[in-house]
Amino acid sequence: MAILLKTTKVIEAQIDQFLDIVSDCALLFHMGVEDYLKERSQQFEDRLQRIRENEHKADDLRVHIERYLYEHTLIPENRGDVLAILENTDEVIDNIKDSMLQFSIEAPVLPDEVHDLVLQTAKASAEAVDHLAMAVRSFFRDLSAVNNYIHKVYFFEREADQLGEKLRRKIFSLEIDLAHKSQLRWFAIHLEKVSDYAQAVCDRLAIYTIKRQL
Amino acid sequence: MVFFFLLSGLFLGWSFGAKDTANVFGTAVESRMLAFKRAALICAVFVTLGAVLEGSGPSQTLNRLGVVNALGGAFTVALAAAITITIMVKLGIPVATTQTLAGAIIGWNYFAGRLTDFGSLATIASSWLIAPLMGCVFAALLFFIFKRYLDKTKLHLLEQDTYTRYGLIIVGALGAYALGANNIANVVGIFVPVTPFRDIHLPGLGSLSGETQLYVIGALSIVLGIYTYSHKIMKTVGKQLFRLTPITGLIAVIAETIVLALFSSQGLHALFVKMGIPPIPLVPVSASQIIVGSVIGIGIAKGGKNLRLDMLGRISIGWITAPVLAFGFSFISLFIVQNVFEQTVLQPSRYSFDYATLTQMKAHNIDIKKMYMVNGRMFDKEQTIYTKLKNDAKMQRQDILTVIRIAEINEFTVEIAKVRKQHLEEDLTAEQLQALSTLEGRKYRHRWQLKNDLAGLPGWQLYEQPSTTLEKEHNKSLETRLDKLARAFLTK
Repeated sequence: MAILLKTTKVIEAQIDQFLDIVSDCALLFHMGVEDYLKERSQQFEDRLQRIRENEHKADDLRVHIERYLYEHTLIPENRGDVLAILENTDEVIDNIKDSMLQFSIEAPVLPDEVHDLVLQTAKASAEAVDHLAMAVRSFFRDLSAVNNYIHKVYFFEREADQLGEKLRRKIFSLEIDLAHKSQLRWFAIHLEKVSDYAQAVCDRLAIYTIKRQL
Repeated sequence: MVFFFLLSGLFLGWSFGAKDTANVFGTAVESRMLAFKRAALICAVFVTLGAVLEGSGPSQTLNRLGVVNALGGAFTVALAAAITITIMVKLGIPVATTQTLAGAIIGWNYFAGRLTDFGSLATIASSWLIAPLMGCVFAALLFFIFKRYLDKTKLHLLEQDTYTRYGLIIVGALGAYALGANNIANVVGIFVPVTPFRDIHLPGLGSLSGETQLYVIGALSIVLGIYTYSHKIMKTVGKQLFRLTPITGLIAVIAETIVLALFSSQGLHALFVKMGIPPIPLVPVSASQIIVGSVIGIGIAKGGKNLRLDMLGRISIGWITAPVLAFGFSFISLFIVQNVFEQTVLQPSRYSFDYATLTQMKAHNIDIKKMYMVNGRMFDKEQTIYTKLKNDAKMQRQDILTVIRIAEINEFTVEIAKVRKQHLEEDLTAEQLQALSTLEGRKYRHRWQLKNDLAGLPGWQLYEQPSTTLEKEHNKSLETRLDKLARAFLTK
């Protein structure tokens, strides 16, 4: 039996590796934002660098998995769905990297009053991505658990939305320049958007799960 | 000329290969789990093995419906069935080879003025209902078992895919084997009593009997059907009633294979008898109908949504139309072949109501006194006897059939050489063969006379009133052997 599964085990491991990267990126994102707020700029740059490396690794893995599935005509019924899931999840990593990069390039000055809300929004978004990785993992192994994780992704996405809205209101209530307010607004949106991407992947995942059911 | 006659059987084999094998590998090929070339190769090998190794069981059953006793008749009957199937396939209606052939054989019976054994017809026809129903039940049960197993084991999608792929290959191969064993009877079974082939002796390997050669050629025609046309039909299987995924496809094929095996395995049949369980008759059943039943079973297990009931209606129409159409085609073409092409489509039979036959009838509890209108006379049409006994003597159909079987004249001589030539000694025990040898050279006018003579000898005793399954099967098995022997002795 082990011989039959020799090649599939390799791909299974690569899919798991890909999802580990997604989960790592979510944690790095949360910790990176925290570093930025605590002005640990070197540590923040290190985390951004790790996210960049992870993004490359994830791209390579995704391309390899996709090619292998097509070349060996594996899972013909679900191949298209699996590829869509991997590609969309990969975009979440790209989005995390873009948000972090924006912090690095613009180096926005965040007043102390918004620190807590920024951290909470980043945490909610990171949780959404982490649960997305778990939902995708379950899609491959345990269909019955997928909806549980999807539910959590939706929860954290709503949480991130609400916190993001609060953050923007707070920004515009501060006694700072309008230009500064406008700049900070975009950062609030960047933080929220990470969870929006995770939710978009889950919308599709929910449909693919129904299709995969016996 | 003889080989030309076989062509219609091969046409039937081709249509069967194109149509029925698609039911075994259709879902695997269509869901791209298996390449067509590989599926066709596996199917070709296993259909041939099934046909050659286990094909004779169901052939016997179809022969009971009517023994087409001339090669020209067998040709026409097979041709009528093949044409009907081709028309139905072109119209996109799934149709059963067995039903079509049964319709065509009954057409021959009517043309030849012979009575159709409604008992055998009922056995065969009941299998047409029971087989899809069994497919439905097995598929639904398997669906729940698979669902539970997959929920419990939490297999990775890729591992599940690998297992499904190998499952489809293994079950497909078993299905193809069962299909070959069960349905070769449909393709060349009708030619068995009139096989034109002589035994071929292969040095060091034994010999190939005429019957086996027929099965090999039939299997080859099926293979041709697989390679030339089945790909087109595979595309429609699994989409007609319900869209199947590879796993539900696997479930449907497992259910189909189990049902086919139950209706064709001589080993399973013997095991059931040994265990005292009423055995399932060895009847050629329709793979198309079983797969329809299986797909419906899965559809119901999934909650009954998305089942295309309009398609079910179309299929049901096919179940009725095909045999009726084949009956009509068979009757008309027999008339044309006999009168326009001047070919022999039936061997004349004679029925004698003399002292010997009447005594035998009396022994079967037939009231011969009310048969005064036939007693002492000779007939050449079963239908004439039937009409007289039915209308004038007011006899029951089953009794009339018994009377006809007793009155039928089949002159033959016991020749052990013929038994050996047709490899029938493999079916007989040493004791039975020894008993048969004591009758060497003896001439008989009726089949039952041989049976009566053998009944007193060791190895041939029948149970007078069989009560258990084992006793009934013992009698049935002896009757089948006697039938084969008489047929062998009748061969010129």
